[in-house]
Amino acid sequence: MNAPLIECRQVKRFYQMGEVTVQALRGLDLCVDSGEFIVLLGPSGSGKTTTLNLIGGLDRPTEGQIVVAGEDITRYTEKQLTDYRRRKIGFVFQFFNLIPSLTAVENVEFALTLTEQNGRNLRRKAVALLDLVGLADRADHFPSQLSGGEQQRVAIARALANHPPILLCDEPTGNLDAGTGQQVLQVIRELNQQEGTTVVLVTHNTAIAPMADRVVRLRDGQIDHIEVNERPLSVAELAW
Amino acid sequence: MNRTLLLKSLRDLRNAWAQTLALIFIVALGIASYIALVSAYRDLGASYQHTYEQLKFADVTFAVQGAPALVATEIEQVSGVTAVAPRLVIDTGFERADGEQIRARIIGVPPDDQPAVNQVLVEDGRYLTSDDIRAVLLESHFAKVYGIKPGDTITPIINGEKITLTVAGVVASPEYLIVSPSRQEIFPSVRTFAVLFMAMPELQTLTGREGEVNEFAVLVDENRDREEVISEITAVLAPYNLETTIRQEDQPSNATLRLDLEGYREIAFLMPGLILLVAAASVYVMLGRLIRAQQPQIGLMKSLGYSNTAVLAHYLTFSLLIGIVGSVLGVIGGLVLTRGITSAYANELGIPLVQTRLHPDLFVSGVLLSLFFAILAGLGPARTSARMAPAIAMRLDPATALSDGHKSWLERWLQLPLSFRLPLRNVFRVRRRSFSTGLGIVFSFILVLMSWGMIDSMNGLLRRNFEEIEQWDVVAVFDTPQTEALVDKVAGWEGVQEVEPLIQLPATIRTDSKDEDVLLTAVSPAQTMHIFQFSDSLTPEAALANDQVVLATTLANKLGLQTGDTVILDTPFGEHKFTLSGVSDEFSGTVAYISLEQAHQIANMPMPVYNGLYLKVDPAKERMIKRDLYHLPGAASVQLKSDTRADIESLMGLFYLFMGIMMAFALGMSFALLFNAMTVNVLERERELATMRAIGTQNGRIVRLLTLENIILWAVTLLPGLISGTWVAQQMGQAFSSELFSLQITISPLSYLLTALGILVTMLLAAIPAIRRVNRLNLAEATKVLT
Ligand SMILES: Nc1ncnc2c1ncn2[C@@H]1O[C@H](COP(=O)(O)OP(=O)(O)OP(=O)(O)O)[C@@H](O)[C@H]1O
Ligand SMILES: [Mg+2]
Repeated sequence: MNAPLIECRQVKRFYQMGEVTVQALRGLDLCVDSGEFIVLLGPSGSGKTTTLNLIGGLDRPTEGQIVVAGEDITRYTEKQLTDYRRRKIGFVFQFFNLIPSLTAVENVEFALTLTEQNGRNLRRKAVALLDLVGLADRADHFPSQLSGGEQQRVAIARALANHPPILLCDEPTGNLDAGTGQQVLQVIRELNQQEGTTVVLVTHNTAIAPMADRVVRLRDGQIDHIEVNERPLSVAELAW
Repeated sequence: MNRTLLLKSLRDLRNAWAQTLALIFIVALGIASYIALVSAYRDLGASYQHTYEQLKFADVTFAVQGAPALVATEIEQVSGVTAVAPRLVIDTGFERADGEQIRARIIGVPPDDQPAVNQVLVEDGRYLTSDDIRAVLLESHFAKVYGIKPGDTITPIINGEKITLTVAGVVASPEYLIVSPSRQEIFPSVRTFAVLFMAMPELQTLTGREGEVNEFAVLVDENRDREEVISEITAVLAPYNLETTIRQEDQPSNATLRLDLEGYREIAFLMPGLILLVAAASVYVMLGRLIRAQQPQIGLMKSLGYSNTAVLAHYLTFSLLIGIVGSVLGVIGGLVLTRGITSAYANELGIPLVQTRLHPDLFVSGVLLSLFFAILAGLGPARTSARMAPAIAMRLDPATALSDGHKSWLERWLQLPLSFRLPLRNVFRVRRRSFSTGLGIVFSFILVLMSWGMIDSMNGLLRRNFEEIEQWDVVAVFDTPQTEALVDKVAGWEGVQEVEPLIQLPATIRTDSKDEDVLLTAVSPAQTMHIFQFSDSLTPEAALANDQVVLATTLANKLGLQTGDTVILDTPFGEHKFTLSGVSDEFSGTVAYISLEQAHQIANMPMPVYNGLYLKVDPAKERMIKRDLYHLPGAASVQLKSDTRADIESLMGLFYLFMGIMMAFALGMSFALLFNAMTVNVLERERELATMRAIGTQNGRIVRLLTLENIILWAVTLLPGLISGTWVAQQMGQAFSSELFSLQITISPLSYLLTALGILVTMLLAAIPAIRRVNRLNLAEATKVLT
């Protein structure tokens, strides 16, 4: 058996709020294999976003280690973390976070410029990525001219720009209607199956759980239990 | 007001602490500059008034040919006279070791006790006593120029004899705050005019005028009609040949001082006023921007049930806090700075006693203006946001809301790579943001150019006069006619490189309606010592042809003359009609030029004679040459260009000090504006920049993006900045007018370049703290929703 792609060992994240210490994560142990599709479920405040941020290198744990592809990212310098985010991680934020002064295609292009020095085909590649999320016809729209779901799909296209081995999605469907949500999930699913991208997807929506390889349930900053789906459902099969 | 909301106000301030501090600083600096700079100018007037009162400066001085000192008691009897000082004043001279001819005025004062009128302030050494023999007090300007200290000696000629006198003290006199021997001599002559105070009995003995005086300095009761008192005293003095009656406003030093200060009256208010206005306008723009960025919170507050009034009150508190804290600091700062600046001015002008007063009108107007703009800044955007439906206000990311969704033709056409497109678009598409940032930059240009423009123009004026127009190093004037032989003789001296003869005469220029006294100089059209500054292609040969006269531009303007007009020149040799051939743009506004040939014709001289020489000399030998010239028979005055330049520059001392202080404040304000503009510009986009970092953008690239954006902003504001800065400088130059000369604003290309680069460098440096902050931001927090 191969070593897991992501391994969280006794990860703790505390926030000091004056006198009070908020224990957002209190000793999380989690292994994610390469190519796996994980859904993180849990009530509000249970530590889902915190977990994702830590794996994505946006934050550092108070204690514990996070080993990704054999390297302990908690020991990384800021520069190494930036590099790690750029090469290994695709992040889809709960609140899109597109760059307002760039059009849809330029937002994707911007991410492409982070790894590609050759500026020639950037626009073509960016349009192709938008096509993947079904937004090629909105390429020249600014974020303010896009609906929430469209913005979320641009955010996914941006996350995919550099073919990251790991895709982290924080409530990618939280702000979307059922139909659009399914489209978004479909894109993520295809990526996972066709390109072997490892996906960690945070959601409140238990209906999404059956499509995952494994479902990790968090409660009060710890893993409550993990379910393994022997036969993950396709997006179409989900009881939305 | 709701307590939770007040807490929120304070918390908002804390979150945007850098901007808040910068805004408070801008308000404070604006008010402090305004109060300090305007107060200092006003206090300068108060200080000389104070000096006059303390030293009992005469209200009227009567000069007679000679009268017994006892007449003073008769004058004292005149009702309305509060004090009389009888004195003996003699004008004489002496020669310094370097050959310089010094005019000296010796004033008799009572020993042991100060006179009742026109007292002196002992700055070094002591006052005279009746035991002193051959002791004098020396007026401080002359003492300073030559470094004369108590114990040194001076040897003036009194009654035809050289008398060696020991300096007992160096003193300031209300009559000589500006050393001006007479009203006809506008430029004071610290270098060649000494005022000495001597015990009256000794002076009377030395001059053989025992018991006799020739001046009565009088103080008049303020509540009495001065003219009535004067006419009564005139009657008393009738038997003694009253020569002149000088009222305080006509006294030479006082008149010059007033004239000098008068030149600053407008700009002393306008320049600080502009700094204050710029501060207030910037606070209005920046605070408005800070509040506009809070739109989602306003939506949230309203959705939680707060009324429009509550929301408005909240942001008003925020604005008022900034306005009030800034005002308090500004008033305190202004008070502290006023004294220092007043002292510096007074010191420069030689006003010995400084008085500073409170000027409540400045406090009130400065504070009210700032508060008004702060409140306006708070109300406007808050009201717009409050009126918005909560859902809309909340949904709008203010950064997104600012984008309009069109690509400019320029962008389509240029096809730039993304790293250029993004900063370009941030500048051109987010117009409101760019406008307010750009305004900060333009204001900085205005402030810097306003003060630097004045200094630069003055430097340019002096440089042009002394380096381009006047090519001579020494000019000597004789009071007896000289011939070609003298020219040849002097030309043969060691160190003399070139000699040109000239004739210099006092003259009056008359037109139909006006006349002006001028210094008429006759030169050969071929001479190279004085280079005319004609605006057209006029040659000196044509300009100095027969019956043609050249005037200084300011003089021609004052007389309302155009080229081709005729004028009458009234010289010691009679009247003569001339045609104005051209105007020369020169520093001195009271000069006229004709040809030597013409001068010989007017004077009706059979052979060429001269009364002056222009010399070009070896600078190392100029002092020696000056002494030798003085020793020539008939030598009346020998002037070194370097001395004249130093004199004029020191005369401009107040100007440079005044502008230097303005400049310091303007620079301080510019820096605050740029810092604020740059900081807001970056911090407003914290979330956007954090997202860039979260997806793996290196810090270096973010620095490059923001720097490029700032350079673009700078490039865009460069032209408006330079143009409006120059325009404001020109207005200030016009407002700074004195009767002596007018200041044409000419800013050198180097100054423009340095200003532009200085502002660019400041912008880039000012952005560093904000960029560092963004590059250190906690990404997990910054990429979440706005809080
Ligand atoms: N910056 C912070 N400072 C203090 N406490 C924090 C901070 N960020 C998160 N927390 C706390 O940590 C806990 C976990 O937060 P986290 O954002 O991971 O929850 P979540 O599971 O994503 O919740 P949700 O479903 O509402 O997004 C919460 O109790 C939260 O209040
Ligand atoms: Mg969350």
